Amino acid sequence: MNAVAHGANRRTAIRLGLVALAMFSFGYVLAPFYDVLCRAIGLDRARPEFATAIPTALRLEFDTNVADGLPVTIDTLDRVVAAKAGSLVKARFRIANTGDQPLTIRAIPSFAPVRAAGLLQKLECFCFDALKLAPHETRDVTVVLLVAETLPEELGAATLSYTLQPA
Amino acid sequence: MTASTETLHLQHADHQAHSGAHGWRRWLYATNHKDIGTLYLWFSFTMFLLGGTMALGIRAELFQPGLQFWHPEFFNQLTTLHGIIMVFGAIMPAFTGLANWMLPLMLGAPDMAFARMNNWSFWLLPPAAALLVISLFVPGGAPAGGWTLYPPLSIQAGMGMDLAIFAIHLLGLSSIMGSINIVTTVLNMRAPGMTLLKMPMFAWTSLVTAYLLIAVAPVLAGAVTMLLTDRHFGTHFFKAAGGGDPVLFQHIFWFFGHPEVYIMALPAFGIVSQILPTFARKPLFGYVSMVYAVCSIAILSFMVWAHHMFAVGLPATAQLFFMFMTMLIAVPTGVKVFNWIATMWQGEMTFETPMLFAIGFVCLFTVGGFSGLVLSIAPIDIQMTDTYYVVAHFHYVLVAGALFSLFGATYYWLPKWTGHMYNEKLGKLHFWWSMIWFNVTFFPMHFLGLAGMPRRIPDYPLQFTDFNSVASVGAFCFGLGQLLFLYNVINTIRGGAGRAPARPWEGAHTLEWEVASPAPHHTWETPPDEALVKKGLRAQLLDQDHE
Repeated sequence: MNAVAHGANRRTAIRLGLVALAMFSFGYVLAPFYDVLCRAIGLDRARPEFATAIPTALRLEFDTNVADGLPVTIDTLDRVVAAKAGSLVKARFRIANTGDQPLTIRAIPSFAPVRAAGLLQKLECFCFDALKLAPHETRDVTVVLLVAETLPEELGAATLSYTLQPA
Repeated sequence: MTASTETLHLQHADHQAHSGAHGWRRWLYATNHKDIGTLYLWFSFTMFLLGGTMALGIRAELFQPGLQFWHPEFFNQLTTLHGIIMVFGAIMPAFTGLANWMLPLMLGAPDMAFARMNNWSFWLLPPAAALLVISLFVPGGAPAGGWTLYPPLSIQAGMGMDLAIFAIHLLGLSSIMGSINIVTTVLNMRAPGMTLLKMPMFAWTSLVTAYLLIAVAPVLAGAVTMLLTDRHFGTHFFKAAGGGDPVLFQHIFWFFGHPEVYIMALPAFGIVSQILPTFARKPLFGYVSMVYAVCSIAILSFMVWAHHMFAVGLPATAQLFFMFMTMLIAVPTGVKVFNWIATMWQGEMTFETPMLFAIGFVCLFTVGGFSGLVLSIAPIDIQMTDTYYVVAHFHYVLVAGALFSLFGATYYWLPKWTGHMYNEKLGKLHFWWSMIWFNVTFFPMHFLGLAGMPRRIPDYPLQFTDFNSVASVGAFCFGLGQLLFLYNVINTIRGGAGRAPARPWEGAHTLEWEVASPAPHHTWETPPDEALVKKGLRAQLLDQDHE
């Protein structure tokens, strides 16, 4: 092999070797990047309050739905909350009327599992009354819950769900 | 035989005389691409028999419900080692071996670009294999958490896991060096007149595969290094107790793992694209679209990894993204299958053993592709995760896909390697035997998986008995049939069915058939002249520019 070809081969090999090194580091970069990404898209992985609080805290998840065809959106501002025994828990939601007409709607509550019923007391809820929304109005609403003094050990999480319906 | 091969033949008579060391030194110090290719191929066949024996251990236990032969822990070691050995020890080195043997011959290069690094890439493999085998005998036994090495099991396992981690480091290093060699050879050392878009398809698929390996083998090395430091040095990449996340390992592993699937499939595509035109006596249909299909499969393979993780609880958006990207891969793959069929269409086909294996590949790989398409649908995959349906799917693409293509390649190039023709009757028997028992083994696994039988469990409920018995019988027959292949190869080396001409297949037009059979120790020391290259390209309809 002549010297020119030899040099070209060496250059190609060095470049490819650098790519391999870069990819090795990429594997490690994925670790912190994964943390950032999960936080950015709202996945609560290994939050410290859940790691330590059980069973003195109950994991509360909030779920929202909108009836078909209703020009309304609802965002859950606190998707997951660690509800400590005996504490007050507040969860916020943002409701927006995207249509050009004023609307009257009502939130139909639901929850799971059934055993959670005795543990959570709803003090205030936007589902208690019908809501009147002006065209393109955005409104923040809340749910306030009182958590029982003692929590059973085996109950991991409870989900509260609200579905917006025309009133 | 052409005049130029005649002269080559003469030149080589005296080259053979001073080809360097003899005896064991010839192999330990090997720098010749043909010697190293041979080493790779024998190594991978040995690993194939070892991994196959483990598979028979698995099938023996599963012949009946209940525990007959092994403790559950040992059964899990068998499934884990079977996977690691077949993937890293059998299939991948076999393709690297073929690339070593054939690329310089097909491209008109005197050898691989880095002969001594080539020696090193091969000789890292036996120690890696030894580490895996030794792990069976250490306290706690071999790794038993599946070939994917998921934490937390892989963090809790005994020292066998450390041996496996080091083995994977060595295998990865070997793959990276082998790939650098392949890329450099293909990019820099082609004969004059052979531009990239005139290369044989096997060179193309080897090139793309090597690129994939350079990109993802280091990621796997990183993942197992993190496992190692989690196990011994107090890091918490994957340990939930310290804020780590086991699911992170799955992301990193499958970022390597999915391109790995194509690392084992693309070279097979290349081999089949060499064999089909030869025995259909027609140029490959849609050469350029084949190249683009290979490249787009390679690029897409980086964007689909989480379809292996649908069941871990990904957000719905991510599930949809990975589901659609996965389905998209069916498009370039479909292009390839279409082109293979169109290559055979109205060809003057004959059915020598390599052709049988290539056609078997096209049929069964497509079946595996379709079950893959079924699994790409997230809601179905969540149902099927870790069932025998998945086992059936990947054995259709890896056994009937990668392995069959390797058998086809061996029969196709054996005359060039040994200078002798193999026994055609035995070859055909080997094909039909493998074809039938392969399907008897793996087809029932679809039904078992649909009925809910989980993988990696040594026992099962009574209702799964019949299909499991059938699969076990099929596996033992399939395994025994491979001894026929071994016999046929050894018999060919010893003379086989007589001397092979330089071009035993009259429909083959790539450059490796322009040198004598057996291929002399040194070939293309002066590159083939442009007229010779042009002649082959004309026969493949590649002499025109593609624009």
